[in-house]
Amino acid sequence: MALEDFRADAMRCTRCAYCKWIPFDHVKSWKYAKGCPSIEAGKFHSYSAGGRLVTALSLMDGRSTVTPAVEDSVFKCTMCGLCDVSCKLCRYDMEPLAAMSELRATLVEDGHVPAQVEPILKSLRTEFNMLQKPRAERGNWAKELGLKDLSKEQAEVVFHAGCRYSFDGDLGHVAKASVKILKQAGLDFGIMGENESCCGGRAHTMGHRKDMHTRATHNLTAWKKAGVKTIVTPCSDCYHAFKRLYASTEGSEIQVLHMVEIVDQLLKDGKLKLTKAVNKKVTYHDPCHLGRQGEPFVAWNGVEKKIFGQAVAYEPARPRYNGAFGIYEAPRNILKAIPGLQFVEMERIKESAWCCGSGGGCKETYPDFALSTANQRLDEAQSTGADAIVSACPWCERNFLDANQEGASKLEVLDIIALVEQAL
Amino acid sequence: MEISRDAYRAIEDIVGAENISDDPAFLDSYAFQWLAELVRPENSHYMPRPWAVVLPATTEEVQAIHRVCNKYGIKIKPISTGWYHWAAPMKDNEPTIQIDLRRMDKIISIDEKNMVAVVEPYVTCAQLQAEVMKLGLNINIIGAGCSTSIVASASTYFGAGPSSYYMGNNSDNLLGQEWVTPAGDVVLTGSLSSDCGWFCGEGPGPSLRGVTRGNMGSRGGLGTYTKCAIKLAPWHGAAVLEPQGPPPAYRLPIPENTRVYTIGVPSWDAFAETYLNIYDNEIGYIFHRQFNLAGADLAPALWLTYLRPDGTMNDVETASKDPEMQKLADEGRISFQIILQGRSVDEVKLQDKILDAIMAKTGAYKVGRFCEQDFAEFTHMYLQRLGHKHCNFIWVGGYMGSWMQAGIPDFVKNYSPVAIDGFYRDQKQSDGLVQCGGDALMGCGSSISGGGYFGFEQFVSYDPNDKASVQACVKHMYDAIDDCKANGIPLGKEYIYLMIGWPDEQIWNDFSKAPQTFVLHFQRKIKEHFDPRELGDRNYPWLPKGMGQPNFITQS
Repeated sequence: MALEDFRADAMRCTRCAYCKWIPFDHVKSWKYAKGCPSIEAGKFHSYSAGGRLVTALSLMDGRSTVTPAVEDSVFKCTMCGLCDVSCKLCRYDMEPLAAMSELRATLVEDGHVPAQVEPILKSLRTEFNMLQKPRAERGNWAKELGLKDLSKEQAEVVFHAGCRYSFDGDLGHVAKASVKILKQAGLDFGIMGENESCCGGRAHTMGHRKDMHTRATHNLTAWKKAGVKTIVTPCSDCYHAFKRLYASTEGSEIQVLHMVEIVDQLLKDGKLKLTKAVNKKVTYHDPCHLGRQGEPFVAWNGVEKKIFGQAVAYEPARPRYNGAFGIYEAPRNILKAIPGLQFVEMERIKESAWCCGSGGGCKETYPDFALSTANQRLDEAQSTGADAIVSACPWCERNFLDANQEGASKLEVLDIIALVEQAL
Repeated sequence: MEISRDAYRAIEDIVGAENISDDPAFLDSYAFQWLAELVRPENSHYMPRPWAVVLPATTEEVQAIHRVCNKYGIKIKPISTGWYHWAAPMKDNEPTIQIDLRRMDKIISIDEKNMVAVVEPYVTCAQLQAEVMKLGLNINIIGAGCSTSIVASASTYFGAGPSSYYMGNNSDNLLGQEWVTPAGDVVLTGSLSSDCGWFCGEGPGPSLRGVTRGNMGSRGGLGTYTKCAIKLAPWHGAAVLEPQGPPPAYRLPIPENTRVYTIGVPSWDAFAETYLNIYDNEIGYIFHRQFNLAGADLAPALWLTYLRPDGTMNDVETASKDPEMQKLADEGRISFQIILQGRSVDEVKLQDKILDAIMAKTGAYKVGRFCEQDFAEFTHMYLQRLGHKHCNFIWVGGYMGSWMQAGIPDFVKNYSPVAIDGFYRDQKQSDGLVQCGGDALMGCGSSISGGGYFGFEQFVSYDPNDKASVQACVKHMYDAIDDCKANGIPLGKEYIYLMIGWPDEQIWNDFSKAPQTFVLHFQRKIKEHFDPRELGDRNYPWLPKGMGQPNFITQS
């Protein structure tokens, strides 16, 4: 795709501003009606999906050039996809998230890269992670666990911990809890250990597509060599990269499962029993990459056609990603199965969830924006009366933990797999 | 247009550097407006680019900005949640500052006892409705939907919606305004100016309703409204709406005190008769002709596909060929939606009986498939919140509403067939328009508070990405004007839209032939008083002295 391929989307945008709000049917209060972290921070229309479509059009038509302000408006966005859901409530011919992704990639190709990105990319290219950690330390979390090393052995299932669970000392226990559950379920699986590589998904959403391609090639080659047919990960960022991005850009057909899907199925099959009470009141934060962007990928290579004179359809029919088929129930089923746990919902949930603030590379490039976005989510979580906010993504959890340190929230931040481990 | 950096710096000093921009790409995001392509040279999607865009946070900041504009001769154009080509600057050669009011987004107060809310311009209907429902109250959401600003709909445009029938028009529900005039004065209307609160826009104190809004409202052409008070209505439903199901067609369960129907009638005569009987018997909470926006031929295929989260336009095409779907299209060809809501279950049962009796009398009937639970719950959600109003653009992203004249039911039944025939003719002459059948008339059951007077607009769908399609739409607009003139019908919405692209002289020439030109001269005098430097634009219409039929104001 090229930016020009989204000209029609831009020309057909009606500037309705639905992209700034959660789906209106789900508005339950003044405070939590807003849906777009970017425009809450940037305020000008250019910080919305509709505004970026106009920016793209304006740049393509030579009406404007890339200025620092334009760079800021394009990159200060978590790419959470709420705009995509809200836009598609009423439209079948718009792909705002894809258009914004293309705009980012175009700016990157033209050399417009925020300065703060450079060390992160360097780390990705040399150390295979974006956390600027030594590659050799990647498998440390799994030492002494006796897991199969798929860089030397074979298994049909690979457990991919991801950068954050591998290197973040506050979150490494989640990877351990995950493999404990997989072992208990009797699954034959292995890990790549220090040969595991970043999925590249964050690089892709930041506009650095070639970097994701390099990581994807590395990972897919390694998995193929190890006979892997299924990837299991507790990280929603990795999940999205493997399930959607690898499928769409690399043609990958490997089955991808998030840990919540595995646990949910194990509970349903009676292969996992949660017996210990966890006496907490918790609320659940839907990670964007597991929820609305976690829908199955459907391959499509088609063209626009007109029906009824001017209405837009596609030949063949274009798959519709509107957040309807994200992973929403599995985590909720798990929480409801934990004895003693009281589960309460926030106002903005599932496809309408407010982003944690970490996505789109913002945790790395715009840390203040990332934290203010997280604080707004913690405020919403606190309003439920919960003791803890639970999620299924280490990037969300890291950002909530950091926001907790600086903000007024006293909420405990928990990973859903860690909770399951407590209940075993 | 280049303007003094002193002016920019003066405004920057008021709001802070982070709240003003003259970046060309940022300005284009304000110039790019729906309907621009119908009126701009070369069918450009851009209205004139503002000189700068500014984001004030308080009335004081708005006032200070206005005063700078007066000093430097910069035109003023406020925008809140809105869109439409008239939300942008009007002329290429006039430096205009776009005042984006998104930072003024607070609900100031909700007076439960007196049923009044006071809001800033960036409060949407959805937000206020959600808050007042918790108190057993509701608001009239305008036909453009719940994404819209309450201040804008009440202070600067029509303010009618599906619930106006029960709750009144926002133009009438307006109980007070805080208005920063183009000259930079802050004017408070009615009781507010007497320190008596926001309960009455007419007094004690200056009654400015006729000055600031009239029927159409000033559409951003007469300064900036920074707060307004809006009348609330009773709500007998749940404190919080809890929609069910996946997107896009969320469904709202129907409680015992509520009924949701799609009612069909055999003829336009029967439609008028049914409407009058419903109105006379004072039943109904919401009255709207909604789903016909897709066109009577295609509405069932579109909406039944829309119920499916994975449905596509290709599915609509397939469904449209199904004989059963065509039968359903005929069944609902002349139809409308009505929601009955009782203060009690017994009351809604009574309303139900009355509706049954009316239908028996007029030959109306319930459109079976559209009254089944899934579709009725979807209809319930759609019309209570109006959160899907941008389905107006569902076919291809371009929609223009022609006709939309309002009147008594007999007027509507007479003009509707003319509007249908004209639209059908234009569809057949060119494939530039979506071929959805001639009847894409949609509208609410009330153009004035309480009903009895209403109208429909034709939903003309075109492709903004196809110049030939845009031009087909423009041709239809002029054809609709000719149809109106040929049939002795006042001109409709298409005329108001087209006017945005005309030179002043052409507009004044037309205005001068209006039957009541004294109104436009009266408005000139208002403008001379409140906007002596002409910093508001012509969205607040007026006539130069000496033009039009002579009368006492023309001479003064």
